Amino acid sequence: MPSPETRVGQPLISLRDVHLSFGSNRVLKGIDLDVQRGQAVSIIGPSGSGKSTILRCITGLLPTERGSIRVGDTDVHALKSEAQRIELRKRVGFVFQQYNLFPHLSVLENLVIAPRKVLGETATNAEKHARELLAKVRMEHKADAYPGQLSGGQQQRVAIARALAMRPELILFDEVTSALDPETVGEVLTVIRELTEEGMTCVLVTHEMRFAEDISDVVYFTENGLIVEHGSPEHIFQRPTNERTQTFLRHALGDAGRRPVASGDPFLLSNISRYSLSV
Amino acid sequence: MTDLLELFVQAAAKFGLNYGFLLDAYQRGSLVNGAITTIALCAFTIVGSLLAGLALAAMLTSGRPWFARPARVFIEVTRNTPTLVQLYCAFLVLNMLLTQAVGAANPLTPFAWVVIVISLHKGAFHAEALRAGIEAVPRVTLEAASSLAFSRRQLLWNVQLPLAMRFALPSLINNLIDLVKMTAVASAIAVGDITYASIMIWTQSDNVLELMILLLAFFGLLSFVVNCVGRALEAKLRMPGYGH
Ligand SMILES: Nc1ncnc2c1ncn2[C@@H]1O[C@H](COP(=O)(O)OP(=O)(O)O)[C@@H](O)[C@H]1O
Ligand SMILES: [Mg+2]
Repeated sequence: MPSPETRVGQPLISLRDVHLSFGSNRVLKGIDLDVQRGQAVSIIGPSGSGKSTILRCITGLLPTERGSIRVGDTDVHALKSEAQRIELRKRVGFVFQQYNLFPHLSVLENLVIAPRKVLGETATNAEKHARELLAKVRMEHKADAYPGQLSGGQQQRVAIARALAMRPELILFDEVTSALDPETVGEVLTVIRELTEEGMTCVLVTHEMRFAEDISDVVYFTENGLIVEHGSPEHIFQRPTNERTQTFLRHALGDAGRRPVASGDPFLLSNISRYSLSV
Repeated sequence: MTDLLELFVQAAAKFGLNYGFLLDAYQRGSLVNGAITTIALCAFTIVGSLLAGLALAAMLTSGRPWFARPARVFIEVTRNTPTLVQLYCAFLVLNMLLTQAVGAANPLTPFAWVVIVISLHKGAFHAEALRAGIEAVPRVTLEAASSLAFSRRQLLWNVQLPLAMRFALPSLINNLIDLVKMTAVASAIAVGDITYASIMIWTQSDNVLELMILLLAFFGLLSFVVNCVGRALEAKLRMPGYGH
């Protein structure tokens, strides 16, 4: 693994002119995106605009047609063999909207299986690490439960711990709160917030606008397979220059439009309201 | 043991059933051998059919037409023709051709032919059950495994098959219970299974009703054992929070 010093200034993730189609459906039409080590970057935009596809491309689950994707020193677009993709995925965590835990394994086994089988960790070490991670996401009391016995928010926290168990360099979150009922969204967002505060590199696709505004270093707005606008959260949420961004945010934040930011603290966690566009 | 048998024979006689042949060492011996043969047939065909089913299901779901197409044709032909006819075809035609080719060196006994034919026949049904199970594993679950850097093999053995197995289990048990009863076709080519042994006895001593009852009870018991093992497996593999 390259030492951080040698990589100063060079982004951990870098997408250039990435194109991808499903049959005749052109889904990505030239995506440029950079993520620096330690940053939290959010991708917002309407459903079907290609956000999940971008994340899948980054971890090599989907092959690109044109353009380049670099993660650290790896040219993802040029990976040929399964072994190379496995090396990449060891470094990149992925958390899904539908949790996708393994239903036949207990919570602890879900966390232990990949480090044991893929990284070759010993059972003792893997289990010790797993229990630490469960404590971190406040799920240690459910180590022996099965996914089917947990609420959505609990399953999602386990899924985050499962990704962390591989000690990834970065984690991709794909609408991880969209399937949750409003009461449990907060518990998952809290976990993600803590991760970003610890300096974990995170890429989040999200419909939680306030949350994205609060934790992100950079926000990207996608529409129709293109990055329409990107910049600091203040830029995107307070003074978006593109008309499409403005329209999207007006709908996402409620038709009344965004209230002018009052002085004081507009970013209280309790202010997080939930506007979901996905079906 | 013999005392118990005598008691049973006396008791049955009160109901007008003549189980006297059980006291005859030769007839009793051939029945016991028949029972052992049937149990051996079941054991071999259960294993054989599961292996055949696994291989066929692997071909069906390989995504390669060169494997999937022949497997599909084989399954359709196999499950749409009677087992008895298949057994006659195999034993009377294939076996004869084989004997003509290699003479006395032909290693396949009638017993082996029954195991092969029933294994392939039930294998076709297992394959469909397994295919349904494999296809029922959500794509996203497999994607999650891929994202955790599982290799194709690790994904298959740790996620896809364990889940597919659970989905397919009720159908597989169903097939296996049917398989137990199906072994009776062995009598058609004079393999000395329990059915054949019974026929041999009743053609000589006219105990049809008594032997029928014995046969039914024996097969019922065997099926029941398979059923119990199946249910125990289902209970053991049950995923808490899913189903019921
Ligand atoms: N596996 C797939 N096969 C075919 N089309 C797909 C597939 N995945 C996504 N798409 C299409 O790609 C487009 C973008 O999808 P997606 O990246 O999931 O959007 P988003 O995450 O922004 O809602 C949609 O039109 C969707 O229908
Ligand atoms: Mg999506």
